[in-house]
Formats: sequence, C-alpha cells, structure tokens
Amino acid sequence: MQTAKRDIAVSMTGISKRFGPVRALENANLEIARGSILGLVGQNGAGKSTIIKVLAGIIKPDSGSIVINCETVSSLTPASVEKLGVHFIHQDRLLVPTATVGEAVFLGHEIGLGPFASRRAMERRAADLLKRFFGMELPAGTLVKDLTTAQQKVVQITRALAQKASVLVLDEPTAALVKREVDSLFDVLRRLRDDGIAVVFISHYMQEIEKLCDRVTVMRNGTNVGTVDPRHTPIGEIIAMMIARDVGEMFPKRSVTLGAPVLEVSNLRLDGSFENIGFNVRAGEIVGLTGLLGSGAKEIVQCLFGLKTADGGQVKVEGRELSLSTPVRAVRDGIAMLPEDRRAHGVALGLSVRENISLASLRRYSRTGMVSRGAENQAVDSLIRELSIKTPHRDALVRELSGGNQQKVAIAKWLSCQSRVYVLDEPTVAVDVGAKVEIYNLLNRLAGEGAAILLLSSDLLELVGVCDRVLVVYRGRLAGSFSGSAMNSDALLAATSGARSNADGVAA
Amino acid sequence: MSVSANDNAAKVSVRGVLAKYSVLIAFAAIVIFFAIASPTFLTPANLFNVLVNNVVMLAIVALGLTIVISSGGIDLSVGVSVDMASMIFVMLLAVGYSGVVGVAGGLGAALIVGILNAIMITRLNISPFLATLGVLFIGQSTQQLATSGGQPIYLTSGYAADQFNAIARTALFGMPTPVIVLIVLVVAVHVLLHRSVFGRYVQAMGAQPGVAWYSGIRVPRELSMVHVLCALLAGVTGILLSATVKSYVPLSGNAFLLDAIGATFIGTTLSRERKPSVIGTLLGVLLLAIVKNGLLLVGWNFYWQQVGIGVLVFLVLAASFGLRRVAH
Repeated sequence: MQTAKRDIAVSMTGISKRFGPVRALENANLEIARGSILGLVGQNGAGKSTIIKVLAGIIKPDSGSIVINCETVSSLTPASVEKLGVHFIHQDRLLVPTATVGEAVFLGHEIGLGPFASRRAMERRAADLLKRFFGMELPAGTLVKDLTTAQQKVVQITRALAQKASVLVLDEPTAALVKREVDSLFDVLRRLRDDGIAVVFISHYMQEIEKLCDRVTVMRNGTNVGTVDPRHTPIGEIIAMMIARDVGEMFPKRSVTLGAPVLEVSNLRLDGSFENIGFNVRAGEIVGLTGLLGSGAKEIVQCLFGLKTADGGQVKVEGRELSLSTPVRAVRDGIAMLPEDRRAHGVALGLSVRENISLASLRRYSRTGMVSRGAENQAVDSLIRELSIKTPHRDALVRELSGGNQQKVAIAKWLSCQSRVYVLDEPTVAVDVGAKVEIYNLLNRLAGEGAAILLLSSDLLELVGVCDRVLVVYRGRLAGSFSGSAMNSDALLAATSGARSNADGVAA
Repeated sequence: MSVSANDNAAKVSVRGVLAKYSVLIAFAAIVIFFAIASPTFLTPANLFNVLVNNVVMLAIVALGLTIVISSGGIDLSVGVSVDMASMIFVMLLAVGYSGVVGVAGGLGAALIVGILNAIMITRLNISPFLATLGVLFIGQSTQQLATSGGQPIYLTSGYAADQFNAIARTALFGMPTPVIVLIVLVVAVHVLLHRSVFGRYVQAMGAQPGVAWYSGIRVPRELSMVHVLCALLAGVTGILLSATVKSYVPLSGNAFLLDAIGATFIGTTLSRERKPSVIGTLLGVLLLAIVKNGLLLVGWNFYWQQVGIGVLVFLVLAASFGLRRVAH
C-alpha cells in the first residue's frame, strides 16, 4: 500500500477543527495519490465534507498541515487552491444557467484581449476540450440550462481540466444522475485517472465505490479510520468501519408515553413509485422514513401532503379519512409539511419573518378577511421567543436569517397552525450542528405535546438518534421497520442500500 | 477626532434624509420647474384638468396592475378590458338601455376578459405574459370585427349623452364622479392589498409561489381573483373614459398599458421594500401625468414629450438608486 512520495498529490495530516463544542475533525489524515481514484465515505457528520472544505480553503483548520504537490501550504483560499491545480465539483451545480458552454468552461479565466472576452474563441476551445476529453459534441453556443445534469457535471469537469487540474474532488456527483449517465461519468473519471490525475470521489452509494474506486478512505467521528481496497474488501466490512458506535449528546433524550394512532396509512400506492405502504404514527411518536433516492420514500411523503396524487390506498388523521388531492386539503386536515427545498417551498425569502410565520394560519388572526395585526404580532412574537429564532425583529426579511433560523421560521409557520401531523423532509440539510440540535429538541417538544411526526431523512445517525421507530423503503416497498435495539445504523444502512438483498439476489 | 466623526454622522444622515425623501424632492423639483417654465401649469384649472384627464383613468388601470404585479404576474390585456367595457357600455346605451344597465354590461364584459385570463393562467398553466398577450390579440380583433373594421361610436346627443353626463359630471363636494370613484378604489385596493388576508396571499405568491402552495394557499383560486379584479378595475376606466368622451373608439385602451406598467414599476422602485404598493403606484401615475402635462404646456410636441418622459423617469430612478446606495 505504500506509495512513493512523488506520486502523492495531496497529503493532509493531523487536521483538527472544532465548531464551538462540536469536534468536526480530530487529527484527520487524507492522502490523495496521482493516477488513482480515491473513495471517501462516512456517515453524515463524519467529517468528509469538513475535510474537503478545509482542502478547498473554505474552512480554516485549527491545526494540521497540508502538502499539495510536494509543497507545504499554510493558508489556503479557494482561489489559491485552484491555482495549485486542485478543483472541486460540488454537489449543487454551480454553473450560471444562462451562460453558454464556452462561457461556463472559462468563467473567471476568459480568453480574449484585455477586458474583451472572445466568445467565439471560448466556444471553440471549450468544444475542443469536450471532444478531446469526453468525445462529447454540443452545438456551438448551447446554454448550460439546456444541458442534462450529467452534461453539466462534464462541463464542470472540463472547466477544471481547462485550468490544468491535477486533483479533482467530486462531492456526491451521481446523486441526481440516472444509471446510464453514472456509467458515462465513471468512464470519464477512469480516463482522467489513466491520464495521471488524482480523483477523489465522495458518495453514499457503496456499489459505486466498489465499482469505481482504487482505494477508499473511511471517516468516522471526525477522523480517518482506515483506507482499504474496495475491490478486495466486502461492503459489509466498509460499512462496519463507517458506523459510529457512540451517537453522543447530539440527540437529546426524551421519554414520552405514546397515545392513540394519529396518522394511519394503509395500502398506499403510487404507480411506478411505491405500493402496499401501510404504517401508523401515534400521538407523541417520531417515526423515521428512509430510503435511497428513487426508492419511493420521498414520494410517500409527497402523497401524504397532496403534492402527488396517490393511485390507491387510505390515509386517516385522527380517524378521519383524507382526500389528499392538494396541499390545500392536507393543510386543512392538519398535516404540516417541512419541505426539503427550503428556499423554494419552505420560507419566502423576500417576505418578513412575521409574514412567513403567519402565512398558513392567517385565518386565525383575521376577522372578515382583514388581518388583525395586533393578534398576528402577538402570536408571531411568542413563536419567535419560544423557538428562539434569531432575528433582529419580526419584520426583518427571512433572507437575512441563517439557514437554521430560516428552518425554525418554517417550523413556526406550522406551530402557528397547531397541526396534528408533522411531515418533515430532510429538515436538517444545510443546517449547522447547533441548529440541528435545536431542531431535534423542537421535534421532541412537538412529540411531547402529542403531535405525530414522520421524519424523512437520509441521515441514518439522525434517524437512530431521534426516532422511536424507523421504516425503510427499498424499491417502492417497506423493507423493514426497526425499533429498539434493532434500530441501529448497520441495520438501516444495509436495508436502504439493499446490500443485504443484493447479496442473495432477492429484493427484500 | 470626535468632531469629524460627528460631521460624518451628520453627512450620512443628510444623505439618508435625501434618499428617504428623494421621490418627494424630485417631485417638487419637477413641479417647480414647470411652474417657472409655464405660467399656466400651477393654475387650479390646469391641475384639475391633469387630475381628471390624465390621472384618474390611468390610476385605476394601474391599481389593477399593481395587484397583478404583486402576485408575480402581469396583465398585458388591461387595454382590452378597458375597450370591452367601453364598447359594451356604449353599445347598450346606443340602443336605448339605461346607464345602470350599460355600466353593468360594461363591467360584465371586463369580467369575461378577466375570467378568460384566469382560466388560461390557472387551468391551462400558461404564463401570465403569454396568456394575457393572447387575450390582447383576440380582444383587439374582436373589437375590429364588432365595429366593422374599427369604426368609432359617437353618442354626443340625446338620451345616451345625458346618461354619460350623469356619470362624468355629477359632483359630490365639488368633485366629479370619476375622482370620487378613484378615491374609493384607491382606499379599497390599498386595504385589500396591504391589510387583508387575500392581499397577504397575493404577496406570498409574488414572493415565492412554491411557498404559497406548500402553505395550503389555494393558489389557482387566489390567482384567478387577482386577474378578475385587474380586469374589472380596467373596465371601470373604460366606462369612465366613454362617459367623458361620449364615445367608444376601438383600441383606445391600449394607450393605458405601458403607462400603467411604468407607473407600477416606478412605484416599486421608489418603495422602501421594492414591492409594488398602492401608494407607490399613485406616485408613479402622478409623476407621469405631471411630466406629460408640463411638457405639453411648455410647448413640446407629442414625440418630444415621450422623449422627455423617458429621460425624466431615468433621472428620477437613477437619483433614487444613487442616494439609496450612499445612504446604506
């Protein structure tokens, strides 16, 4: 396994980083070799993204040293890292949608004379590069927004190559791709490896790691716990390395006596997505729901809120059957939804904290169609206090708040409705650790007050830490219900990734 | 040290005040300029003329557009609503119906335009721009077909003319009916947009339609209401217009479209929150009306008036932006 010194493109040693009381990285090491694809795996919160952000110059480490191309670098900035040939393809595409392919490839490094970018030269060079590296031909002047997600990834990679990248880091590049696109992306990455480029591939999908990577580094609790050859190591063994045994005080403890079933789902079916889904959520219970992208877990939640119309089945809230045709009905029936895309569906950034919080419950604060500002202000102020939403005042725009506080505003909107059922879709994505704990506390409080909570999450640690019971969806069916000691990350991970069913070739 | 800091603070606050009142200052400057340039500008007779002929009808159309633009949409067919109301109103009076029936028929015609827009936008999911553009084309052709290629209808004498006079000239507290109608509608739309539950939903749809939908707001219904209200308001202008000029001239409503959009967006730019508002729109309408009238009095012909308006709009907006940036 020992690699010669000159083959090491990046070497990070003893990296530590704390955010307040939370240790994000603790003496972590990462070695990236030229001409090889390194997988980087670990649970959410294991430190993968933090160590990548340290390398990208976005986060300053508290201690540790970084050597890039045999050169010790002291203070990294995103710009200086790019100059050293280290490029990052982030999970959310960061391309200007209305730019042409040429403009996107040379953004920030325009070709041309003085201040005048030569669009024609850029289009030609970009087309050359795309053809040479990927055999991809696009009509001249194609706009980024007209490309598929996979093509956009390729354009991003081309941008890195155009600037002589020697290290390429891809964060969850396959999350939004279909199988065929994944395969062609893998071909591209293998070709780059053969050209001597160091590739780092971060993924939750063990099968992809196994298929693509030459080595895989496993992170856990902020440090690297081992580097293995995925082709000669069983997936189960890698998963065992990933699982953190101690969840710590991230997840506040609670004790609640469960009441009668509040949400009852039976035989729910959405053709082409899931079928035969049945479960209950009792008053005071937090039930987790998880599954890989495309497993149907997300669609179940969408059906419950009327965003998609189920093709069959029954949903009851407190014994009353729901029609579930639109969110309008769902809200009336007492279902609250915390959507994953907070900016598009959760909070209106251009409205004030007050307007956001009262939006779903305005009727409560109005008489004959007129909003009573006094009643509204009072309710909003008490929610701001209760949830300790950090905002200068109730009329501040939500845009000015941090992600965690925006999420609290989105939750406050439903508290103001006094909903009975809370459906949460990835509520802690893009929320810092401190705010996460606050959100968990909030869920506990809601459950304590007798609400039924359904938590859709892909963060297995979160599910184990917060939920009373976790349902796993695999290929459109409930693959298992886990509670008590059976509810642990090993079991959940195995059930979601289908590792268990893949082993014996039978769908669970 | 402390002296210069104080100086700075004073300067900043002066700039802050300038930025805050830039609209009023610009307004005053324009009024003073025309008052000096034309002796008739500041006379009560002229100002009254501006109010009745330039402000009232444009302002009512602009109120409707303010609602639509607040909801994140646009209505390019306001001119058609104006014309349709005007056409049906005049035609009903021409065959001998009373003013009440005429007004009801005119508003009914505008209502149909609004419902057509609402159906295309909320049921067929066509973007407001394209849907109302389609209605604009259809509405224009309909008028030409109904008036044998665009023949105006004049009713300058007889029963119909009396009915027109009753609407246009009846005075309350010395004010003609159109001015009273405007005042009532300004108050009503202000309350509706800025105080009511419906108004809050409109703002939410304008700010982030997905959030409105995910909050259980009946977006299609509210959006339909938005477009129907806009068409009805434009219809009111159509009736007032016909009653004032005692005629129906096909396609005359289109003249309101760009001015009303302009007034609404000037109002948006000038408002603190950069959102359409009734007060802002009124300011925009007043600004346009005063500049038009002033340039006319100074003796500029129609084409140069357009240039003058364009330049003035730029100057006012640039000054507002610049001062705002300094203030921050």
